[in-house]
Amino acid sequence: MQRLLVFLTAISLIPLLCNSFSPENPTDRRLLVLLDDFSLKSTHSIFFQSLKSRGFDLDFKLADDPKLSLQRYGQYLYDGLILFSPTTESFGGSLNLGAVLDFVDSGHDLILAADASPSDLIRNVATEFGVDFDEDSSAVVIDHTNYAVSETEGDHTLIASDNFIQSDVILGKTKIEAPVLFKGVAHSLNAANSLVLNVLSASPSAYSSNPIFKSSRPPSLTGSAISLVSVVQARNNARILISGSLDLFSNRLFSSVVQKAGSSHKYKKSGNKQYVTELSKWVFHERGHLKAVNIRHHKIGETDEPAVYRIKDDLDFSVEIYEWSGKSWEPYVANDIQVQFYMMSPYVLKTLITDQKGLYYTSFKVPDIYGVFQFKVEYQKLGYTTLSLSKQIPVRPFKHNEYERFITTAFPYYGASFTTMAGFFIFSFIFLYNKSQ
Amino acid sequence: MARSTGKDAQALFHSLRSAYAATPTNLKIIDLYVVFAVSTAFIQVAYMAFVGSFPFNSFLSGVLSCIGTAVLAVCLRIQVNKENKEFKLKLESIYRHKVLSGISADAERDLPAERAFADFVLCNLVLHLVIINFLG
Repeated sequence: MQRLLVFLTAISLIPLLCNSFSPENPTDRRLLVLLDDFSLKSTHSIFFQSLKSRGFDLDFKLADDPKLSLQRYGQYLYDGLILFSPTTESFGGSLNLGAVLDFVDSGHDLILAADASPSDLIRNVATEFGVDFDEDSSAVVIDHTNYAVSETEGDHTLIASDNFIQSDVILGKTKIEAPVLFKGVAHSLNAANSLVLNVLSASPSAYSSNPIFKSSRPPSLTGSAISLVSVVQARNNARILISGSLDLFSNRLFSSVVQKAGSSHKYKKSGNKQYVTELSKWVFHERGHLKAVNIRHHKIGETDEPAVYRIKDDLDFSVEIYEWSGKSWEPYVANDIQVQFYMMSPYVLKTLITDQKGLYYTSFKVPDIYGVFQFKVEYQKLGYTTLSLSKQIPVRPFKHNEYERFITTAFPYYGASFTTMAGFFIFSFIFLYNKSQ
Repeated sequence: MARSTGKDAQALFHSLRSAYAATPTNLKIIDLYVVFAVSTAFIQVAYMAFVGSFPFNSFLSGVLSCIGTAVLAVCLRIQVNKENKEFKLKLESIYRHKVLSGISADAERDLPAERAFADFVLCNLVLHLVIINFLG
């Protein structure tokens, strides 16, 4: 009996163990970290520690662990995947390229870090998200004008870049002062993929080539076409971070002194820690995740939601929008959210007014056309999850007794009609009783 | 060809007036009634041009009641005009069997004014019934 009870409890807890980011249960999230070898746990400990301190439960595994599995009994065991295994040719267990794509397709997040000469598997995963690593496996990013000055290395492969994407939601409100150090492979963005964004780009003088042997061919990737770090927000709001450098996350670059070539200013610490932490907050939905609740509409002066509107009714529409801050739902404040009153095309398009506490509202007149309409809020903003709400509502024409009975403008016409009638009456009398003939 | 002058126009106007003075009074009454109806219609068209065509059905019924009245009055005028031969001819053709059967041909020559007026009243009733229904 007791055993059965334990079993039932365990069964009922399984769904709670893990799920993708859900507005109801956004905390207590589990991440699977796949490593090439366990030494990364200590060389990248600051990054992992910052994730742990934000409430993530990290599960470290070797990438070729034969017991690897992302899901059990159809339920995903993790909310996010961190692939710090740039040289793995194939994953262990049931994990493969298709499983990783399914994981993202079901709305989970992914961080992928490559390094010099990434494996075909890692390349293929990146290609699926619109990122193509340089095909020359020995090539790394070299920049002879924007490198970080270092005493030991003279090949200018440690890039100091401050070409960040201009987005508060992706990189946080605090400005990143120091340049970010990058050492790794270049990638380019697939022009056919409209979802992938370059969040750290190389300077125009950068190129991708083998630093040791001088190549006779010109480098395949040069200048601004080189992307160092990219992010993707898929249509299901899953977020993916792809970096060409595993060292970007390392303790060594987090705490190293930065001096950009040609500049005398020395930063005590690189911008890596802030940059990577803010970026990982974005990837794991601690920023820029919106939810909309309480979509309401009613006639002006009423409070109940009607089942149907009449043409030319005046109505109030309101919706509440909140943003997840990592700990709680905070009111989202923006002035560019619009509602559509939509039937095949928007008949009304109005910008919503906010009360700064998350409530968005507006009022408008139902157009002079009847049919089945929808209230639609389609909100797509760089870095924020897509809001796509719709609520159906029919609109009916006037009832026969709802038209105006006597229209002031028409009084002359009424008058004329009755005057002709009276005229007819008087004329009849005069005509009949006229004796002059 | 002689140049026309203001005097010619005046003479023409005078001759028209004196010719019209010979018109029987009952026809003059009908003419006055037609003028009244047509001018009311014009006033309404001018009003519509000013305020716009919004209650268009009201406008149509107002104007059409005037036009219809005018048309019916003109019809009445044609029928009661003694100089008009058209209806006599028709009468003779219609009542030929009666002429042959001995009824006085003289009595049949004119369309009775009462019958023309009854037609006029009936048509007016139908017209105004339609107008009232279309008005609001």
